[in-house]
Amino acid sequence: MFIINCPYCGERDQTEFSSGGEAHIVRPKQPTELSDDEWAEFLFMRKNIKGIQFERWNHSHGCRKWFNVVRDTSNDKIHAVYKMGEKPPVNK
Amino acid sequence: MLNFETTLQVSKSYGDLTLSEVEPILKINLRSNKREFSTKIGKLLSIIPPIEANTSSSNEDYSILWLSPDEWLIYSNNKISYEQQNLLEENLFKNISNINQGSVTNVTDHWVMINLKGSKIYDLLSKSSPYDFKNFKMKKGSVAQTLLNHTDVILHNTDDNNLNLFVRRSFSEDLWLWINDSARFL
Repeated sequence: MFIINCPYCGERDQTEFSSGGEAHIVRPKQPTELSDDEWAEFLFMRKNIKGIQFERWNHSHGCRKWFNVVRDTSNDKIHAVYKMGEKPPVNK
Repeated sequence: MLNFETTLQVSKSYGDLTLSEVEPILKINLRSNKREFSTKIGKLLSIIPPIEANTSSSNEDYSILWLSPDEWLIYSNNKISYEQQNLLEENLFKNISNINQGSVTNVTDHWVMINLKGSKIYDLLSKSSPYDFKNFKMKKGSVAQTLLNHTDVILHNTDDNNLNLFVRRSFSEDLWLWINDSARFL
């Protein structure tokens, strides 16, 4: 259990949010030219590291907006929260 | 013909605490990210949609709650008939939706509004909500969207120890039973 600072509503409990997986995955420009392996890499493969991870979260029981979170998966410490489309405030 | 019967229709009180459904009132959901939207609503209802998060603005007839940066909920402070509700909705729809200024959705039958009154309402809500009511109860007019007993609710602080709770119709009976059950133990 941890508290997330929603960039729109302020600090709320984690139970109000849902996680949307890894952030900043860029869709390939020409999907038709990719091999099946490369496409599967984009579609399914996600990092699950112990340490600092860039994630998408949705305030599903509040303002229903998406945003990005930089979270340390080993201790659930949140290093930064920023809106969709913004550059990560720490180096990725 | 739609059946407008409400699910609750009763009022209960437990010592200091009073619970009742307020009905029929108009509820309209507004969505827009257009610049002229605010002034449009101001002209039509003489009320400006709040920009600041978790706040609301009210006049004699209506309250407008902030739900997200581009979404608001309007409800009437007084009971009004369905004929009047339809007229108002039509007026908003003509002046906003029809000219692509945003969307107007009548959610009168989507939300059920329950009024909670009494000094122990925050004790009751804190029993099953992850929300921190410290700032909410201090500031009249604050709005919170959160969970109560695993159900989505919108809370609007209308006065000291007086709040309006919006719950989706299909969940309203379940939440009503939970509220009544919990209120017995306050």
